[in-house]
Amino acid sequence: MSATGGRLAGRTTVVTGAGQGVGEGIARRLAAEGANVVIAARRADTGEPVAEAIRSAGGSAICIETDVSSRASVQACVDQTVDRFGGLQIMVHNAFRGGIPHRLESADLDRHWKHMSRTGVWAVLFCGQAAWPHLRAAGAQGRFIILTSPSGVEGSANIPLYSPVKAAERAMAKSLAREWGPSGVTVNCIGPVAASPALVNAFDVNPALKDAIEARTPLGRVGDPEADIGSVALFLAGDDAAFVTGQTIICDGGSFLGL
Amino acid sequence: MGTGTGAGGGTIVIEGVGPLADVLRTADIAVGCPTTVVVADIVTAAMPFEQITDDEFDAAWEQPMQAAIAAFQRAHHAQHQRLIAIVPTIGMSGAPTLAHVAATAEAIRVMVKSAARQWGSDGMTVNCIALAPALFGIDTTAVGEVSLAPPALAGPGTVVGDVVPLIRMIAGADAHHLTGATLTADGGVWMTA
Repeated sequence: MSATGGRLAGRTTVVTGAGQGVGEGIARRLAAEGANVVIAARRADTGEPVAEAIRSAGGSAICIETDVSSRASVQACVDQTVDRFGGLQIMVHNAFRGGIPHRLESADLDRHWKHMSRTGVWAVLFCGQAAWPHLRAAGAQGRFIILTSPSGVEGSANIPLYSPVKAAERAMAKSLAREWGPSGVTVNCIGPVAASPALVNAFDVNPALKDAIEARTPLGRVGDPEADIGSVALFLAGDDAAFVTGQTIICDGGSFLGL
Repeated sequence: MGTGTGAGGGTIVIEGVGPLADVLRTADIAVGCPTTVVVADIVTAAMPFEQITDDEFDAAWEQPMQAAIAAFQRAHHAQHQRLIAIVPTIGMSGAPTLAHVAATAEAIRVMVKSAARQWGSDGMTVNCIALAPALFGIDTTAVGEVSLAPPALAGPGTVVGDVVPLIRMIAGADAHHLTGATLTADGGVWMTA
């Protein structure tokens, strides 16, 4: 890993929810290509070890405690990032809270909805608005990458309110791709299925779930946060994807084919 | 609860606010089984993304979504056999300066799929009709061109002439196996489902 070489050398990225799982995988992959990485984690006790691991491997990373459901917290994160590194070229919104199975007719949907709406859709607003002046300044290097889900396209039978939140993120990405395109900034989504801590825990509780997912996946396995999802994020973040915008890349081993 | 009854034998509830919902409430819609139509509460004001305030986003996203969720639940509690959501196509196409509106439209369209999956075993079908943004009062100059090809048909269509027949079809016995679908009726502008 090198902070001075690589495809993203000299560029700075904020990755929300990078204290674990897919966010951590993306952060590690972008750092390995030379980006200055801000680990925007809700808790420093998860984010700081990731930043330290990147630094130990020769990369450039800091952790900033960030609550993506708070406009002020996101703005403070971006401000500190720009103060520390002199700019922000790549904003990655991955953090999300919620996703517990529920019935759409249940009377207590509020507790499911509020976390998902706030950390999903509202956070896209906060992250996009805070990052926009810096992405615009970055021009053709400006990137806004949003982690959505295959469920945002096909609709979930088990977590019905998760799907509209993830669908809304895709619609915002398409809209922003069109709105920000003249500045050269691209806006894209990734829909991953990867071995996040939550999914690994679910496998521990229900080993049959892992077998079921692998059986329905043409590539026969669950994605790796860094090698599989991080690599797609790297492509979107780099110069090779300068003409790709408004798109959703479903990265799930071929499980969902209906985009 | 089974699906399908005799033609013209069902009640219909129109949920939602705005001119489109008002026209539907006064239209003569004979449906085959108990039906709820949820017209998305769509904010029409376009504005640059960076200028959207929390209050404006609350009005464009949070409140319409909570209203739609509540309307879906009322339809289920009423044991209606058909639930039809009506949204503008901008959720699928995206629209500059309308990200806050596109979010709501697409969220409701995909919530239809989730509801269809959960409530199919309860005897309810759930479908979506996607219409030209103009029918919601959205400024079409803000939406811009969404296809390299010109519209296949002229005009955005009309509520009574074009939307009501679709509702009648989905709410009829012939559509008992149609669920989770989006019927795009915008005159052939947006052709990618």
